[in-house]
Amino acid sequence: MTGGRRRMAAAALAAALALGGCTRGKTKKLDIVLVTKALDSEFWQRLKAGAEQAAAADPEVRLAVLAPEREINIDQQVAILEDQVLKRVAALAVAPAGVAEVLPVLDKARAAGIPVVIVDTDVPWPHRVSFVGIDNRLGGRLAGEYVLRAIGGRGKVAVIRGVLGVATQEDRLAGFREVVEKAPGVQWLGAQPANSERALGMNVMENLLTRHPDLRAVFATNDQMALGAMEAIAARKLTGKVVLVGFDAGREAVRAVEAGQMNAVMAQYPERIGRRAIEEAIKAARGRPVEKFVDIGTALVTKQNAREFLR
Amino acid sequence: MRGGPGFWSRTASEALRRFGPLLALAIMCLALSLLSEHFLTVDNLLNVFRQSAVNALLALGQLVVIITAGIDLSVGSILGLSCVLAAMALKAGASPAAGLLVALGTGAALGAVNGVLFTKLKLPHPFIPTLGMMNVARGLALVMTGGFPISELPGGFRYWGAGTVAGVPAPVLVVVGFCLLFHVFLTRTTPGRDLYAIGGNRQAALLCGVPVDGRLILAYALSGLMAGAGAVVLAGRMNSGFPLAGAGAELDSIAAVIIGGASFFGGVGTVLGTLVGALIMGVLRNGLNLLNVSAYWQTVVIGAVIVAAVWVDVVRQRAAGSRS
Repeated sequence: MTGGRRRMAAAALAAALALGGCTRGKTKKLDIVLVTKALDSEFWQRLKAGAEQAAAADPEVRLAVLAPEREINIDQQVAILEDQVLKRVAALAVAPAGVAEVLPVLDKARAAGIPVVIVDTDVPWPHRVSFVGIDNRLGGRLAGEYVLRAIGGRGKVAVIRGVLGVATQEDRLAGFREVVEKAPGVQWLGAQPANSERALGMNVMENLLTRHPDLRAVFATNDQMALGAMEAIAARKLTGKVVLVGFDAGREAVRAVEAGQMNAVMAQYPERIGRRAIEEAIKAARGRPVEKFVDIGTALVTKQNAREFLR
Repeated sequence: MRGGPGFWSRTASEALRRFGPLLALAIMCLALSLLSEHFLTVDNLLNVFRQSAVNALLALGQLVVIITAGIDLSVGSILGLSCVLAAMALKAGASPAAGLLVALGTGAALGAVNGVLFTKLKLPHPFIPTLGMMNVARGLALVMTGGFPISELPGGFRYWGAGTVAGVPAPVLVVVGFCLLFHVFLTRTTPGRDLYAIGGNRQAALLCGVPVDGRLILAYALSGLMAGAGAVVLAGRMNSGFPLAGAGAELDSIAAVIIGGASFFGGVGTVLGTLVGALIMGVLRNGLNLLNVSAYWQTVVIGAVIVAAVWVDVVRQRAAGSRS
């Protein structure tokens, strides 16, 4: 009995060892680490897959992809980054969960001589060797123009948004507002946060529909929230009556667009983002010239062109 | 052991409670140092300490409450609100010292409110007022900031989270300082010892003339104060007062206290154990990070450790019960 706690601790560690053991290697490898905001959605999984493709193309590269449990666990992401900086990896690719909050640890990376590629969400940090992502503001504007066309320029419009203060979310919202808020026939209801999570997106949509039964259009700044909102709209049998536009164009969302449950979704190409991010990180790790800004591009997905995004 | 002489089994049981967590920590460190060349370096150990600091501070407050057989679910949210209020005060031109006072004061005041709600309003269990506070404080933090983080805090304030003294991170010194204070408070002062009496048997403590309500309010105020201290360290470390700061931290702090050998039934628990509990969690997360194990698995392992620690406590208690 005296050893009970010891045994349990040993068992817990044994589990850890079994998991960790496989990542050890003897040969000198180029260690590249991609740290995303989370891995709980198709977007991040596909970005990870793209990163792995790029790493597989170079036999010297050893890639690890890590993330906190949820996008709001900013301190967990900072801890992961600190631990990687300590390991003096060859290069880091980071999708920051909090824009200001990661700056101190990015400075530590720089002090340790580790090049950092910023992925998906840009930060005001002049020392990044590259930013790989899309022009989110343009994406927001395109979504706004689509919504205005779809509602004939009249009616109540709301936005369901992700974590506040994060550049991707701010830019998508800003681009959308630029186009929609001042449009003469539009009644702007503002943006409500749902932390990029599906369940919260559904809740917020239910509340919006309760308060504004005559709501005409909703722009959700990522797919997960859009899919949640879609359920809330379907539950009230309002599918097709409330225009719904998402962002990311994951397969589930594109299938929903094809089926007519969602009107449109802004496309991102997460595999391409992941692949280009790791390609730039590898260049940086080898001291080769790196592209400062890699714009992956965005496009509007509607029922007409949904099929090509499902390949 | 059941048939053994009472003295020895009592001693073994006591030793297990006292040193079991420390032993577990030592074994983990040994194993991790074999697995990763980066683990057993001064830099990394300071790193672990720094990453565990906020949880350790919250756990100290949680310990005081758990000793009284209570629970404080609001510490994560109080941390968030303290963080935000201090950052707002600093942005409005307050000095770093004033910002510090705002964070600590907010924490202690909200903690005291928890204590008053529990004792004076006679709510049935501390779960209820602190669950309420958990939501109220988080909601207020979000309302006051509109959800936006308040970043770029002045250097003087950031010192406690990001500074160093002779190479030692300031948060480590903060944790050690508070540990000493709490140890002395719990073992050498009357109010501190009263908390154990209350946790052991509230009615008996009342009959012995312990001012139970006052002591309980003090316990919750201290827990809130530590949430304020955690806010200072976290805001400094992240250079930001963000309204979602400390989301889920209450459960981590409870886990640290329990892993550290305190009894959920009250009356038992030490500062050393709690510190070790927080370090066990920190070492696990850090070690698994170094081994590139995903955060999901870290959660699984920590969950298993919590259950194992409490299981040991239950078995130990049953053994103690069968003797008498």
